[in-house]
Amino acid sequence: MIQFKALLIKELKEAFRDKRALMVALSMGLLAPVMIMVISKVMITESVGNPPIYVQFTGAEYAPKLIEKFEENNILQFANVPEDDKYAWQERGIEVDIPEDFAEKMAEGQAIDVVLRADFGKKSSSSPIRRVRETVRSYSQAIGYKRLLVRGVDVKLLRPIILQEQDTALPTSNAVMVSMFLGMYLLMGAFVSGLSIAIDSSAGERERNVLEMLLCQPVSTLKIVLAKMTCASAVSVLSIIIMLVLTTISVGFIDLSKIGATFSLNAFSIAALLILLIPLCFFATALQLFFSFQAKSFKEAQSTVSMLIMLPAMVPMAIMMIDDKPAWVNWLPISGQSMLMEDVFKGLPVDWTVLASTTMMTIVMTVALVIMTSKKLKSEKVVMSLS
Amino acid sequence: MIEVNNLHKSFIDKKNTVKALDGLSFTAKDGEITGILGPNGAGKTTCLRTLYGLLKADEGSVMVDGINVLEDPLAVRKQLGIFPDKFGLYERLTAYEQVDYFASLHGMRGTKKKAAIEQVFKDLEMEELAHRKMVGFSQGQRMKVTLAQALVHQPKNFVLDEPTRGLDVMSTRVLRNHLAKFKAKGHCILFSSHVMQEVAALCDRVIIVSNGKLAAQGTPQELCDLAGEKLLEDAFVKLIGSDEGVAA
Repeated sequence: MIQFKALLIKELKEAFRDKRALMVALSMGLLAPVMIMVISKVMITESVGNPPIYVQFTGAEYAPKLIEKFEENNILQFANVPEDDKYAWQERGIEVDIPEDFAEKMAEGQAIDVVLRADFGKKSSSSPIRRVRETVRSYSQAIGYKRLLVRGVDVKLLRPIILQEQDTALPTSNAVMVSMFLGMYLLMGAFVSGLSIAIDSSAGERERNVLEMLLCQPVSTLKIVLAKMTCASAVSVLSIIIMLVLTTISVGFIDLSKIGATFSLNAFSIAALLILLIPLCFFATALQLFFSFQAKSFKEAQSTVSMLIMLPAMVPMAIMMIDDKPAWVNWLPISGQSMLMEDVFKGLPVDWTVLASTTMMTIVMTVALVIMTSKKLKSEKVVMSLS
Repeated sequence: MIEVNNLHKSFIDKKNTVKALDGLSFTAKDGEITGILGPNGAGKTTCLRTLYGLLKADEGSVMVDGINVLEDPLAVRKQLGIFPDKFGLYERLTAYEQVDYFASLHGMRGTKKKAAIEQVFKDLEMEELAHRKMVGFSQGQRMKVTLAQALVHQPKNFVLDEPTRGLDVMSTRVLRNHLAKFKAKGHCILFSSHVMQEVAALCDRVIIVSNGKLAAQGTPQELCDLAGEKLLEDAFVKLIGSDEGVAA
């Protein structure tokens, strides 16, 4: 126990005295809330506001009333676009063609083809297209209703069934985006924050010739690995706590309810997130130590271990793609945590059995990695590559 | 007391096998300074690493104060003070913290630890260095810190791997005086070196290792007599150059 304490204190001293590495480690925690705030701000203005849309009308003169309707909804002629936004709207290239015989056909009660031409797959065009479509639809419906009314027909006859849509998903898709970002940041934070410290205390020490001296001391390699893991994990846990606290504060400054989001981090959900993420921090550093102890140099360790950062970025993505998830996905580290985090953000009750099984699985894998690493440190291959 | 018996060690690669130790045996007694001499690649470092328990011998045994390294490497390391060939320092720690760290690894604690650390700093006349961060320490200062950390737990046996490399005269003298003091207290000192004058001046017994085998052993004078040379350096070259006869 004295040995472990000495090992740990030394690791912590070294980690906290390397100011630059520490700043890099904690920068994840400091940057995430800022990013989330900026992203949510952008989303709110996009989805709530009714910004002007500029559309290339051809044959506008044939349907002045329709154009008026468009203008009411802030859908304007392309000719009026301000110079700053010109390029963006040209890029989107939304066109509406009104036929020459618009007035004629309208008078005769024939169907009129108004063409909406745009790249429907472009994300930036989706909201303008929706608004153009909505405007034409409501204008056309209004005229249709009037026609029926004039003929003495009850408009209700047109709608024998009304579908009442009730969305049970608590937040809207935009809020899901915000929480997805935070979830991804938290996973990345767990993986990245301890990274530099894990590499420095393993491959770095080997390069500075202090690892051999340590291995010659009467101390078991298991204690060495445990101390190094605890230190690097402590830093990533710290980074995650900073991230959560700052996010809670910064989210308070933006009115997410405007986009129908009920995104709130209360004490309970923060606690749940920490229970989820702390074992993951240990798993991440155990994984990093496992690889960087085997690397021959600091540089080699850096390049191998950097590949591991892909894990927290790719796994949640992959899970989102799969619609019918097999049950074991719930138990694996990273994937289990990312799914549980989604629930927490949605405000759903935490599934404690899933949480327990994921945490258990993460701990088991961490222990296995630690034992393997400490075995590796005893192997002759590691000793031979010391110098 | 360090006893090395019939040590064999091969490194097997995909392509070839290197025999680093080929039946090396010697004894380093308490109260004596034993020097290991040998050309580069003779197996000195392999032998010392086997002694620390970092490498496992294919055959033979190493006993330190009656404890077999193979059976209980941690217990053996407790008996050893190690001065490695490439010593690194934790540059973000102070000298005191580093020595404290190694003292704790040897299980020392409390006032006893504190007293031991202060004693070793006093012995090595490095009190003014104690609370400075070690980044930028000179080679001599680094040697002193390494020496302090190796000696802080008062080991019975002291192993040094080419300790004088890169040291100036003053630092070498400090080291030499310290070894002499240690010898006088009845400790066992094993020390590998390339510097003939060093070995001739310090060592009670010299072990010459060549090709993983014992080439010759004895006092520096005995070795000179054996080879029929006046200088240890000439004797050394002659002894490792001739394969037959001298290996007793």
